[in-house]
Amino acid sequence: MKLAKLFTWLPGVLALAAVLATALPPGRTRGFDMDTFGRTPVLEGGRIKPLDSVARNALLMIRSKQSVPSEGREIGPDEWLLDVLFRPRTADAQPVFVINDPDVLGLMGLKQTSNRYFSFDTIIAHIQEIETQARAAEALESGQRSRFQNAVVNLYERLSLYNQLENSVQLMDSPGLFMELQNLGNPQAVQRQRSLSEMARFRILPPLPGQSPDAWQNTGEGLLAAGAGQTHPALTALALAGAGYKAAQPEAFNRGVAEFQGLTANIRPQALRHANSEILFNRIQPFYLGMVIYVLALLALFTSWLWKRELLQPAAFSLLAAGAVVHTAGLLSRILLQGRPPVTNLYSSAVFVGWAAVILGVVLERMYRKGFGTAVAAAAGFASLIIAHHLAMEGDTMEMMRAVLDSNFWLATHVVSITIGYSGTFLAGTIAIAYTLRKHIAPDPDPATTRALVDMTYGIICFALLFSFVGTVLGGIWADQSWGRFWGWDPKENGALLIVLWNAVILHARWGDYIREKGLMACAIFGNIITSLSWFGVNMLGVGLHSYGFMDQAFWALAWFILSQLALIALCLAPRRFWTALTN
Amino acid sequence: MIKNFAVRCWKVLASLQVTIIALVLLMALVVLCTLAQTELGTLGAVNTYMRSFLVWRRLRGAPFPLPLFPGGALVGLVLVANLTAALVRRFEFNPRKLGLWVVHAGLILLVAGEFATGAFQIDARMSIEQGQTVNYLESYHQMELAVSDITDPAHTEEYGVPDPRLREGAAIPLPGTPITLKVKRFYLNANLAPLAAGDPPSLADRGVGAGVRVAPAPPAASDKEVNATSAFVEPVAGGRSYGTWLVSTVLGAPQSFIHEGRTYMLSMRPRRYYLPYAITLKKFSHDNYAGTSIPKNFSSLVHLSNPGRGEERDVLIYMNQPLRYDGKAFYQASYGKGDTLSILQVVSNPGWLLPYISCVLITLGLLVHFGITLFGAIKRRQLSGEAA
Repeated sequence: MKLAKLFTWLPGVLALAAVLATALPPGRTRGFDMDTFGRTPVLEGGRIKPLDSVARNALLMIRSKQSVPSEGREIGPDEWLLDVLFRPRTADAQPVFVINDPDVLGLMGLKQTSNRYFSFDTIIAHIQEIETQARAAEALESGQRSRFQNAVVNLYERLSLYNQLENSVQLMDSPGLFMELQNLGNPQAVQRQRSLSEMARFRILPPLPGQSPDAWQNTGEGLLAAGAGQTHPALTALALAGAGYKAAQPEAFNRGVAEFQGLTANIRPQALRHANSEILFNRIQPFYLGMVIYVLALLALFTSWLWKRELLQPAAFSLLAAGAVVHTAGLLSRILLQGRPPVTNLYSSAVFVGWAAVILGVVLERMYRKGFGTAVAAAAGFASLIIAHHLAMEGDTMEMMRAVLDSNFWLATHVVSITIGYSGTFLAGTIAIAYTLRKHIAPDPDPATTRALVDMTYGIICFALLFSFVGTVLGGIWADQSWGRFWGWDPKENGALLIVLWNAVILHARWGDYIREKGLMACAIFGNIITSLSWFGVNMLGVGLHSYGFMDQAFWALAWFILSQLALIALCLAPRRFWTALTN
Repeated sequence: MIKNFAVRCWKVLASLQVTIIALVLLMALVVLCTLAQTELGTLGAVNTYMRSFLVWRRLRGAPFPLPLFPGGALVGLVLVANLTAALVRRFEFNPRKLGLWVVHAGLILLVAGEFATGAFQIDARMSIEQGQTVNYLESYHQMELAVSDITDPAHTEEYGVPDPRLREGAAIPLPGTPITLKVKRFYLNANLAPLAAGDPPSLADRGVGAGVRVAPAPPAASDKEVNATSAFVEPVAGGRSYGTWLVSTVLGAPQSFIHEGRTYMLSMRPRRYYLPYAITLKKFSHDNYAGTSIPKNFSSLVHLSNPGRGEERDVLIYMNQPLRYDGKAFYQASYGKGDTLSILQVVSNPGWLLPYISCVLITLGLLVHFGITLFGAIKRRQLSGEAA
């Protein structure tokens, strides 16, 4: 008995141990100290972050992955960034640009094959044509563009991001920073340094003591200042690291980055501490690992319905709990790193919707112990983290807040309650889906479990109504405080109102006995459609105060999701095992 | 018989079916209103679907528009009537129902608040350049034909005619002046272009309008466009015509005529509402996040001067921090002209407090009701657990 109890907790503990193991710093690659390099704090997109984050976000945007094959190996984001900065010719040959659109490939005379990744060298031959097409498309509003035009604009943006990165520390094709430091006053050099200061993607030179904490400089600006007699002490260290990397001399590179870090630690210790925390978060990738653990929990649970139920069901729960711990830790780290409440953009809303659904699911499982709480929590956690994973391709997920939204109080109250409302509605829908599948698949569903599922759905709908209503109202109060109108019929407000109204319709129809078990479940699945439209659909309209994140590609994903939910509603309403009647 | 019928009607009015149908209709309206915003703009869509009793639409081939769908106002009224009837019909004092009563009373207030907003809210803007002093608000949507007596540069008299009165053929006397304005043509929105060879001559025979071609245009649909409201008018005074003039919001040049030694200027401009106090923009500031073009904050340092109340003070207006004064709220809305122009949005809504009260009621009510339900469920589970 004791052994069995131990076994039930073992999978969760093992999962947590595996997560912790990813936090260990990686060893040296080809003798180069990538770890120290990745920890270098820089200013990009309005905030301080480690170079590792710059590298990861850029690679995600350009390649939709966090690694690249190069010279017969897979290299990580830090090494890729080093190649881009200091060995641009090598980087240009790496297949980093993912291109899926057949018309964009056709523009370059390429056929669509299983290889979707192309190097800068391949693309550069067609840059003129791409630029012409992208410029023409940019003149249109993003809603008016064709699929091809969106794809070509997207490729052009990625090319310019790549180009900026290549010219962020030294001009590509230039001999390096040592040469620049020797030719400071020379008019040609000044010209070069000026272009460097304009093209650089990030600012790597920390503000000197006495300067404002925002006064980060890129190397171009640093060189121009050095020409005027104010040499930043870190420039030589950076030059040494760059030259060392280019010449494949690990000792020189390692000495350069160590010196650079020592200086940063001296003058901006806080920036370095922040970079160190963020790099830990980057390395663990809590939301990715959480997603994996949720899948394991789901698999364990499915198996438990066929085999060794008493052992596997608790094991699945322990995995779910481990996933929830990792998910929560990730959420807390984001809050600490950003100094903001958990939901600040579409990406973080996905992470939070999943988290709240998982916590609710854990509570349900403790209350009913039927395994269904685990199933729906793991499924909801997994689905929302997958969505978040795809949204992360849009760039830095900890971007700065627009001035209108810059209010921690309202972000913490309005946005969080609304998002919990989304979670609740989705969770009710997920339970209803579980009910539907069970009804058709389970050989002999027992009425007590069915009763429990109906109770859970009903309770969660009440919960969702409360939170979405309170959240909507708090949003109204925020709007009244900052724009002078309580309610403006803005698309996102309307979306929130739809969720409130739909949950109210379900509850009234239940109280009036117009719907019973089946009807309640079908309505709950329809809630999934309403919530997905409110969450993502209104962002696609591109009007209103809330449309900061416009998305093109998500449209089809959303359309398929809605179709699948409609099919599930039909299945929910169909009599049990209706197909046997059809085949006979 | 009649009594029976009345009882039946009363039952239907108070029934849950009506609630559910009205809620579903409201959902449909919300969806339609949201989708229509890309075409009609927010205000247009809200007026068509939400603030109307019926949604009118001209079908292809039909000579006149038909009411195709109940509008938001009608559905809102039905919901309120249904709710009130249900409250009256089913009222019984039961502490277990207390939460529900409070929730529904709050809902009635919420709908009333939206009606009040639709009826009484005034939405205007105030654009001030740095160093400028402004004592009027400008409407977002309505234009006016202004006739200003600028004879004395120190003291300008202004007469404004709001655009709904500018009907073709109308003769509008300006009170306090000898002038009557005859409206020859009125365009809510128009395209103006220089008169080209072969065009028919302009209706205007005075001012810049003589060289301009005016073509009617459909009213601005989206929130970003503004109507180029234009009109041909003929001022008449003392039995004498002063010619026909073109006035338009897109014409910048001042146009004036002289009658009995007094100079009158004609212009078409956003409708103005004058205030008994003035606001001076001392400094507008705007920061971006370091190294980006993402705005971090905007703020306007203004001076408020109200001689009537002897008030003279500086106020800082910034995001989420409006100036509330004289029943109006002044919000930082936009900026321009290289950070020297600040645009404030000014709102007055006498019903603004209603939603706050109703929200508190509904939230408390939901908490009480779901709390009672939840504790009841837990107790039942415990009892059945003990029994088993």
